Amino acid sequence: MTDSLQTHKPLATTRRTRVSARQKREWLDGYVLVAPAIILFVLLVVYPMFSTIYLSLFDYGLTDARIRFVGLGNFVDLTQDAVFWRSLRNNLTILVVSVIVQVGLGLILAALIDRGIRWGKGLARTLNFAPVVMSAVAVGILWQLIYDPTVGLANHFVRAIGLTPPTQGWLGDPNIVIYSILVVACWQYTGYVMIIILAGMQSVSQELYEAAEIDGATELRKFFHITLPSIRNVNIAVILITMIGAIKVFDLVYILTRGGPANASQVMGTYIYYNAFTVNQAGYASAISVVLLVFALVLGFLQLRLSYRPREDA
Amino acid sequence: MRLRLSTVLVYLLVGVYTLLVALPIVWMFLSSTKTMRELFTAPFALPSDPQWSNFIRAWESGISHYLANSLLVTSVSVILIVLVSALAAYSLARINFPGRVFIYLLLIAGFAIPVHTVLVPLYRTLNGVNLINTHVGLILPYVAFGIPFSILLLYAFFLEFPAEIEDAARIDGCTIWQLVIQIVMPLSMPALVSVIIFQAVFLWNEFSLALIVIRDDALRTIPLGLTKFQGQWSTNWTLMLASLSMATLPVLLLFVILQRHFIRSLVGFSK
Repeated sequence: MTDSLQTHKPLATTRRTRVSARQKREWLDGYVLVAPAIILFVLLVVYPMFSTIYLSLFDYGLTDARIRFVGLGNFVDLTQDAVFWRSLRNNLTILVVSVIVQVGLGLILAALIDRGIRWGKGLARTLNFAPVVMSAVAVGILWQLIYDPTVGLANHFVRAIGLTPPTQGWLGDPNIVIYSILVVACWQYTGYVMIIILAGMQSVSQELYEAAEIDGATELRKFFHITLPSIRNVNIAVILITMIGAIKVFDLVYILTRGGPANASQVMGTYIYYNAFTVNQAGYASAISVVLLVFALVLGFLQLRLSYRPREDA
Repeated sequence: MRLRLSTVLVYLLVGVYTLLVALPIVWMFLSSTKTMRELFTAPFALPSDPQWSNFIRAWESGISHYLANSLLVTSVSVILIVLVSALAAYSLARINFPGRVFIYLLLIAGFAIPVHTVLVPLYRTLNGVNLINTHVGLILPYVAFGIPFSILLLYAFFLEFPAEIEDAARIDGCTIWQLVIQIVMPLSMPALVSVIIFQAVFLWNEFSLALIVIRDDALRTIPLGLTKFQGQWSTNWTLMLASLSMATLPVLLLFVILQRHFIRSLVGFSK
């Protein structure tokens, strides 16, 4: 093809330079198009990321601009900081409970809606997904009113089913505060998980179910032997998304409790903010950020790897 | 038709759970037009005498500015995200230049970096160029953090873009910019709509960055503005709930109208 175009140019050398000049122009186009994205991304994401790692080695304050190299001192301090361990443990509690409740409940609800419901499917989907599009700030403030220790709806509800509400309040009792926050998180995001799983279920071949029905399989057997294996990748993806959300949580905790009472609901995100912007310990905050970054990168890497696999398998 | 016990049970379970999810939102909207007394005496009754003045007071206390700020910041950011990401994704998907794979992986890996881990250096950088407490200082990081996910989505779409259309445009003498902006992008609306909805919902609700970048009340976006009321109206629930309703209504309405697109966009990544 190229030869027919080149017949008027007898010299092989000119031919080669012409081709490569054209190729170079194409390369240049490629670089120019990608440049705005690269520049913004490197300046505002990559550079700050390395900057965080660098700053974690300093005693550094944002307001007084003090900066003193302390090596791994911040990380040594972290290991002896009960509040840091508390926040890490809270992140892990949120992670475990979110995966169990959101994915568990989401899976059950999706299965019920997919196989058991004919009328109102759309309505169930809309209503369950609605909290997902709300801001965590609005959700947090709304639930703060619901959790009000004297006149909140949560107290009414609990009394109505014959139980006594916690005396120190839902968000005031250090022993239950993290679970009160988790109720809100699950309220907001179970619908999200459910919709993703439901989408996965709807692509499971109906013929498999029909064949199983001929064999007289119960719904429960079909769920465990057809549905679950068919949506394995979807389930893994949702679990990872939920885990990443649990590690990154900030808005909801900040709005509901600011990490209190007495640091009982502190998570890494809020503890970073507290150190950097409330007590002017930005170097220490950077050290916590590095820990959070490691968790996020590992989980994010798994998620990216996984997101390619279904395409290859299918 | 046959009405089996198990079917009834399934409807009951799904119905009760869905009701529990809907209840707080319903309560929020119902209460926003009540008097304080009615709010507590009849939490789930319709307001007997709707107090629209709650909305007017909330609107005049700052919600109008916050909505305008959110609208401005969100729309400018989304437009920039779409443009920058589409150009880059096209280049990465269709032009075979050296370093392409490296650049793609670099951009995609950024997807995993939570904004909370870079709040300190971002604050430092923005402060250094006097962009703290400006909308530009908010928009720039919004765009940067929106790039990875948008490129991921658009790249997959552009890979399958028909080469014949490209070739025809090239023969007609289109520059590469014209090709991407005037031909490829308009023909990629489904993917662009997904990116737009995802980023718009995310940025409309974004709080962490706004919290460290914006100081002036006049510049606050909706989530940041709501936190002001959180302190101010902690005992005036009807006003608080009217503000929450106004802040939430635009997204909820759009969601109900464009439901199919919303769901496809927001769950798209895992599919």
